[in-house]
Amino acid sequence: MNKRARVRLIGVTAIILISVVAIVWGVGAGDGSYSRSVSDVADNAEIAGERVRVTGTVVPGSWDKKSSPMRFDIRDEGETGGPQISVVYYGGVPNTFGDEVTAIITGTINEKGVLESEDMITKCPSKYESATGALTIADLLGQGDAVVGKSVRVTGYVANGSVRPPGGTVRFTITGNGGSGGPTLDVFFDGAVPEGMGDGTQVVLGGLLDESGVFDAVSVSLSDTEQ
Amino acid sequence: MANLGNLFMGLGLVAAVVSIMALVWGRKLGPKEGEALTNTGYLATYGVLAGLTVSIAILTAAFFGENFALEYVVQHHSTDVSSLSWLYKLAGVWAGREGSLLFWAWLLSLFAGYVAYKRMSVTDELSNMSLAVLNFVQMFFLVALFIPLNNPFKITPAAWIGPGGELLIRAGMNPLLQHWAMTLHPPTLFIGYAGLAVPFAFAMGALIVNDSSKLWVEIVDRITVFAWLFLGIGIGLGAIWAYVVLGWGGYWAWDPVENASLLPWLTGVGLLHSFTVYRRRGGFKKWAIMMTAVTFVFVLLGTFITRSGVVQSVHAFQQDELSFWWFLAMMVGSLLAAGYGVVVRGESFKGADEFDSLTSKESSYYFNNVLMLVAAVVVALLTLSPAFGGKTYGPDTYHAIARPVGILYVFIMAVCPLLSWRNTDGVQFWSKIKWPLVATAVFTAALAYLWWTVLWPIHLFSNPSANPLTSVAHTYEALTAFAVGSLAISVALWLFITGARKRAAAKGESFLSALGSIIFKARTQSGGYLTHLGMGIIIIGLVGSSMFVKDVKATIDATPGSEFEVGGYTFVFKGIDEQTLPNNDHVTKLNFDVMRGGKLTGTATPGQIQYYRQDQTRLDVSVIVEPLRDIFVVFEGSNQADELQMNVKINPLISWVWFGFGVTIIGTAIAMWPRRQRAA
Repeated sequence: MNKRARVRLIGVTAIILISVVAIVWGVGAGDGSYSRSVSDVADNAEIAGERVRVTGTVVPGSWDKKSSPMRFDIRDEGETGGPQISVVYYGGVPNTFGDEVTAIITGTINEKGVLESEDMITKCPSKYESATGALTIADLLGQGDAVVGKSVRVTGYVANGSVRPPGGTVRFTITGNGGSGGPTLDVFFDGAVPEGMGDGTQVVLGGLLDESGVFDAVSVSLSDTEQ
Repeated sequence: MANLGNLFMGLGLVAAVVSIMALVWGRKLGPKEGEALTNTGYLATYGVLAGLTVSIAILTAAFFGENFALEYVVQHHSTDVSSLSWLYKLAGVWAGREGSLLFWAWLLSLFAGYVAYKRMSVTDELSNMSLAVLNFVQMFFLVALFIPLNNPFKITPAAWIGPGGELLIRAGMNPLLQHWAMTLHPPTLFIGYAGLAVPFAFAMGALIVNDSSKLWVEIVDRITVFAWLFLGIGIGLGAIWAYVVLGWGGYWAWDPVENASLLPWLTGVGLLHSFTVYRRRGGFKKWAIMMTAVTFVFVLLGTFITRSGVVQSVHAFQQDELSFWWFLAMMVGSLLAAGYGVVVRGESFKGADEFDSLTSKESSYYFNNVLMLVAAVVVALLTLSPAFGGKTYGPDTYHAIARPVGILYVFIMAVCPLLSWRNTDGVQFWSKIKWPLVATAVFTAALAYLWWTVLWPIHLFSNPSANPLTSVAHTYEALTAFAVGSLAISVALWLFITGARKRAAAKGESFLSALGSIIFKARTQSGGYLTHLGMGIIIIGLVGSSMFVKDVKATIDATPGSEFEVGGYTFVFKGIDEQTLPNNDHVTKLNFDVMRGGKLTGTATPGQIQYYRQDQTRLDVSVIVEPLRDIFVVFEGSNQADELQMNVKINPLISWVWFGFGVTIIGTAIAMWPRRQRAA
């Protein structure tokens, strides 16, 4: 091999590599965003103005798909309480957006602590949820009319053979005790029940008890003990 | 059915193991004594193919018979009732993670069966060992299929099925996948993925038997082009699908899974060109071997990203720790094996690399490889960055790399056919490039005019407060890309014209029949030129459709006659059609007349479909295609006041991307099709 050609070849290769690294360095510094949790950014004044990528669960009922720009709240995945942040979203709403959906939102936190974004992708909600803090059926029914119409979480076991196709008033029934026995609760739910739900599985429901005594579920998850 | 499926997958696995052992043992015994064993290895390869063919047939039959005993069928059965419903039933086979892995393994067994069929009469050491490597790869896949999350033959939980056999849960094929391009996208992609295991297997085979001749390259060359072609078609179909189904108006979002499919395509370009140098000049030997391994590993990285959940993506399937370690081991193992082999066989694989000057053909092939590898590695690192606690990068970072690298790459690609081996003579080069340069100047001037009259105003519209400095960079990139794209087109056309004229003069043929002859006789070469031509067209289309999109939102009354205007087009609302299909899906369609300059130029019917079984809504976009632009119309929904929320995008030059893509595919197909007539 010709020595001078070799030197030139290596030289040009080095220039290409250095330019590419410089571009990634320069542009990437301004463009990229670190992943943060909701609790990281909630009430954190230091983070204002930073470009972040926040993953959280859409708080049920906090949004209206038809408002423009759309506003909604998110909280950390797998939590039912705790810190929340508000999001103002200027982009097109993904088809799968909805209550309890996991949203990955890239944007900037403004001085009011609101995440302003044009970039969101959604994932289906995790099908598992902790039953800790959820009411048992006995607890729920024991509170009488006081609890009717209030948003609560309740846990129980799917009664044997009770799951029906969507569309009717009762989708399935839960019992207090491993599939049979104990107090029962009829559940209305029009969404897709989680994969793996069957006779005797422990589920965690979010929703409210209506006047007729049917539980109107907004979300149905498997208890994390089923994993 | 489930048991049968697993049984035949298991038989395939056993056959793969038998084949590997027979081939390795047969080699130990030597060509004479080991002949029977070696033949057994070949027959067992057909055994793998047979086992997997039965398995995939069972799964396919389950989809056509809507056999809800299989959980995978419940999850991915199509609910469509249109005339394409048979296609969607079939597409269920590869619509999810379990089926797609089986489908991939089946394709791999088809490639292995083809290799076995081709080489059975020879049963040379190289082919025997390469086949063993191929079956070793197959074994990894088959084991992965028995990891529960990857197994397509799981039994449906009893509680999902009612007493009458009806489904109690809302499940079915993701409606976004119910589209013709999306049913074809995975199989074409997987043909590419599976095929790229073949060059890797033969590279490893060449290392094992220490044969650095061009034999292995000649065996796999066309299979590699074939695989690369299908990978390209798959990527293109994915882009078309993203454009017409996802409704955001673009076709490439630098999403982790999109990137994953691009990586082996990029290194595949490098690989194919290093094969040319290996074959014709005896150079780039170690490089070619490492490129087969890198390409194969990038193929695995795609499935690794989707299956392990290391990177969050719209595409990502459920996370699975076992698959994570399994595919990671496969990737690291492949790279280490190739690297180790190249070191151990370093002496015999020393190539006859002659770099006499920077402007030689060798150098252009070298830079081709370097740029593709660098581009692939950078895209891979940016994609995987969040998995290592780093940043997640948006399109801006990818564009900042892709644009200058792409422009430089197309430039090298355009001039490469005009360069000479070893050393390019300046006077000769000038005589060749003179006329293409004139044509380039004319094309570029026309495109610059288009830029000034149409594209630049769009840029001003979307960035009224654009920093003049960044606009200068933007402008510079757009015009340079137009120039190199024009150069690539001009050089390719010139090569065809002079080639045909020379032949016509020498053989006394007419110009057209001479042109036909060079296209269909010197196919490797003319196919390559056609591919270059297509790439030139694509880069021009990319400039328009990725840098100058006009994006306008409008809210109008839902009364017939109300109208809005975007970029000179007036949309007049005519009415709404609503319809509930027999499967309870609900279809909404808006009708618009589209006027330009007071004249009707077409109609737009954007809408939405609500899928009952899957409980999802899908946008149904309407696209009006013109040579210089697409008008992309989306109905985003109604607001509280029952007004219609519309989004219209004007995508300049996007048809050029699809057209160039078509030319590239035809070119690659021509290059791949026949047995080589002469060394091209």
